[in-house]
Amino acid sequence: MKSKINWSSFITFFLNKPKITGFIVFVCLFAIFSYLVAQQYKIQKENNHIMMNRTLKEIDQNIEQKLKNCYTTTLTLALTINDEGIPEDFNAIGKRLLESNDVVSAVQLVPNGVIKYTYPLKGNEAATGLDILKSKKLKREALKSVLNKKMYFAGPFKLKQGGLGIVGRFPVYNKNHFWGFSAVIIKLEQLLKVSGVHNIDTTNFSFQMSKKNPETFKEEFYLPQKVKFTENNFVTSTVPDGDWKIYLIDLKANKATSTLFISQLLGFILALTFGFLVVLFLKKPAELQHLVEQQAAILIDSEIKFKTIFDQAAIGIANVDTSTGTFIEINNQFCKMLGYSQQEMKTKTFLQITHPDDLKKDLNNVNKLKTGVINEYSMEKRYFTKEGATVWVNLNVAPLLNQKNEQISVLAIVEDITLKKQTEKIIRERENHFKSLFEDSPLPLREENFSKVKLYLQELNLIEKPAEEVSSYLTKNPNITHQLHALIEVINANHACLDLYNVNSKDELIAAKKELFNPNSFSDFVKQLVIITQNQDNFSIDTIIKNAQQEYRNINLRWNVIRGYEKSLDRIIVSNEDITNRKRAEKIILNSQEKIESLMNTIDGIVWECRPDDFAFTFVSKKVEGILGYTAEEWLESPTFWTDHIYPEDKEATLEFCKIKTTNKEDHDFEYRMVAKDGRTVWLRDIVSIVSENNKITSLRGIMIDITKSKEVENDLKKSFDLVSEQNKRLLNFSYIVSHNLRSHTSNITSLTELIDTAESDEEREQMIGLLKTVANSLNETMTNLNEVVNIQTNIGLVVEKINLKTYIDNTLKLVSEQIKNKEASIQSNVNEEIEINYNPAYLESILYNIISNALRYSDKTRKPLISIEFTKENNQNIIAITDNGIGIDLDKNGSKIFGMYKTFSENPDSKGIGLFITKNQIEAMGGTITIESKPGAGTTFKIYIA
Amino acid sequence: MTNRTIWVIDDDVIYKTIMKKIIKKAAIFDMPITFTNGKEALDALIKTVTNKEQVPEIILLDIEMPILDGWGFMVEIEKLKSKLEKFPKIYISSSSIAVEDKAKAKNNPDILGYMSKPISLEDLLLIASTE
Repeated sequence: MKSKINWSSFITFFLNKPKITGFIVFVCLFAIFSYLVAQQYKIQKENNHIMMNRTLKEIDQNIEQKLKNCYTTTLTLALTINDEGIPEDFNAIGKRLLESNDVVSAVQLVPNGVIKYTYPLKGNEAATGLDILKSKKLKREALKSVLNKKMYFAGPFKLKQGGLGIVGRFPVYNKNHFWGFSAVIIKLEQLLKVSGVHNIDTTNFSFQMSKKNPETFKEEFYLPQKVKFTENNFVTSTVPDGDWKIYLIDLKANKATSTLFISQLLGFILALTFGFLVVLFLKKPAELQHLVEQQAAILIDSEIKFKTIFDQAAIGIANVDTSTGTFIEINNQFCKMLGYSQQEMKTKTFLQITHPDDLKKDLNNVNKLKTGVINEYSMEKRYFTKEGATVWVNLNVAPLLNQKNEQISVLAIVEDITLKKQTEKIIRERENHFKSLFEDSPLPLREENFSKVKLYLQELNLIEKPAEEVSSYLTKNPNITHQLHALIEVINANHACLDLYNVNSKDELIAAKKELFNPNSFSDFVKQLVIITQNQDNFSIDTIIKNAQQEYRNINLRWNVIRGYEKSLDRIIVSNEDITNRKRAEKIILNSQEKIESLMNTIDGIVWECRPDDFAFTFVSKKVEGILGYTAEEWLESPTFWTDHIYPEDKEATLEFCKIKTTNKEDHDFEYRMVAKDGRTVWLRDIVSIVSENNKITSLRGIMIDITKSKEVENDLKKSFDLVSEQNKRLLNFSYIVSHNLRSHTSNITSLTELIDTAESDEEREQMIGLLKTVANSLNETMTNLNEVVNIQTNIGLVVEKINLKTYIDNTLKLVSEQIKNKEASIQSNVNEEIEINYNPAYLESILYNIISNALRYSDKTRKPLISIEFTKENNQNIIAITDNGIGIDLDKNGSKIFGMYKTFSENPDSKGIGLFITKNQIEAMGGTITIESKPGAGTTFKIYIA
Repeated sequence: MTNRTIWVIDDDVIYKTIMKKIIKKAAIFDMPITFTNGKEALDALIKTVTNKEQVPEIILLDIEMPILDGWGFMVEIEKLKSKLEKFPKIYISSSSIAVEDKAKAKNNPDILGYMSKPISLEDLLLIASTE
């Protein structure tokens, strides 16, 4: 069984592969043909060989026969020699011998190797007398016969008589003594002829004869060679009497090979033809087989496809047995939809999983299908899932028939439409919802149909025409416009809409809004028509309507084309918001705004509003022109107008202040200056309040009041106040000085008088009185100084003159010339003769003297004093700066006291502490100031500012 | 003689002479040691500390003085405080009637009192008896 299968499959293998089979056939046949040809060739060759051997044998025997005859001849000839060694009757015997032997051409007797007797002599004279044993060429072969004591055939060689010949020599002994040779000369040609060599078929064979050269031992051929020797194209045999080798050569040996080749070629062609035929023969079933396989593959493919479709389909498919209700086959999607596995489903019937409400209808359909009332059916029904949930499906059932057209089962296709059902439900709910929204909306709403309006406009060829053109056409043709108005269909109107028109029904509404009752409502309708011609799908306008009670209402009319109806304008939602009250309110607001504005303009200040982030003004009242000269328009034109026109010196501080206050959300009230249009500087008081909404600043509002006049008054007041307080300060200071300086003396006097009273001796008393006198003198001096200071401070008799500065400096230097000389001081000055200042001469003299003498007095002992006097200007103020390189003073410690009365800072006994005090008072009395810069050990600079 | 010591620091020569007389009359102190300014007194005090001599019991200190005034002296003595075995009783004696001077003296805990010149024998006895 198994082998049978193997065998048949083996055959099938070859049947299916005609090319391989054909090739195999070809190879087999070719091998067989080749073998036959080879065998034939071999036989032919063997036959040939046998024939050649036979022929050659014949020739060989013939030759040997002839040679034997020659032996007889020589022997016969030798017998002619008598005891004296002389031949008798040589010529006659020779003649007879020649006649009896057809190969011999001549006979010779050669006593002692010298040719002496020859028959026939004629033609052979040349050889007579030749000593064979002495001839180099003949000696060896001659001696060979002597040695063997046998006849030996020498040659063939060239005969002296001409032609190739063989010499057979028979050694003759006379009384056991070598006598010489008895010889025969055989013409080779003759020998071959009589041996039958010429009888051989020369077309197929050739004869050859050879001998080893006794000298060279090389084989020499004596006949012309027609073909070369090959390995087996010849047969050979040896002739011992002459040491010859004879050959028979097959001339056609090579031709046999070519015949072989032709046979082989024929075999090849034959095999090829057979192979090809086999291929052709086998190819047909193989093609058929291939076709079958292709068809099978297609079938399998489509089966897989359908299987896949069945299994993987996104809809549920099942093959149902209607008699039992079971599922014969069911796909994954069906199972997945219901949450069962395939195995579980196959144990169920469709009756079990169908919702009871849908079952009756389903079964009814199944019955109709069974009985052939219907061919198929489809229905929406519910299944229960494994979890018990309900799935809505769309079921399609078609019968599956067998070949006899009998219904065997049904194919059920189910599509999950749960989502669709849910969506439908939602949509239904939503529709209801919207319906109630529409009906109960507080906003008056209508649904209208403009399609006829649009069609008429199309007829009038107004669609997409320029708006102006449409507008003017409709205005000029009021009849058409009224017709168009009548073409609007009211589909629906809500409660609010009916209320607005004060009607009870849609019909009443249509009646109420039937006409365009005045030019305003006419032109507003024209606007609507223009919008329609421009293909816009919404519109809004504030217009007026008249209700059923003939009352006017302001409304905001708005319409939108419902999506999907943009082309036809079949459905338009129109809203009529009643804005009568709003309009009224607006009017009130407008009125009050006007009032406020006029009020604002009567205020004697600039009322304004600006943005909080960049101080760009959004409003300024007209008063701005009166106060600053700018018009409100100018002001509002530039967002930075305010910041640009703040007085430069106040700008930074003002903006900084406003920013901080705004950030902190603090109302503020501040003063600054602005530059008016005519260049004046105007002082303003700005009262600002922060306006915020939801804790976010929306704007700043305020009022600017011109306070220039009061500011001037204030400044004057401040100046005089400063003056008074300065004087007051000086006075207080002076009073301290007075009290302190006088008190030290008076307290001393008090103590001294006490001591005088309690003195224990006159001597002591005297001493005290002496001290008292000293105190009195000091007091007097102090009084004098104070008087001087009082004089300075009261400015009594203060004369200011134009004086030459250099002259005064020179005078001062003269006064201190002694000290300059002693201290070797040098003075530098940049003051030239032209400088003149307004000053009190006595004061200037005193000031210069005090400072220069101080500079010399407090000089540093380690270096020569250097004093420089410079006249400079600083901020438009004249300054006399006097610098020394003296000991300097620690200003950190003593700065506050330097210009005090009786303040001394050194141990110099000349220090009285009055000079700088007076100097300062004098300078201040002249309206100037004095400053000091000093560094201990480096020097001091005093700067006198001249007012 | 007692060995109670008193220093008078003042630049007014007459005042110093008067004080010497008064102190002598009071007869409870050694002969007073006087200085013309704060600097001289401070140097003397440093010397006292270095030589481990007795620190003065009482110092009468003027405010207005050249070189180193009364306030300056108070600053310097504060630095020496740790080295002094006993801190002297310091009284300001000044002819200044400026309120700020009195307040400044009051706010310094090292100053025991502010005396307006003239200083009488009674005043001296009073501070001498104050512990």
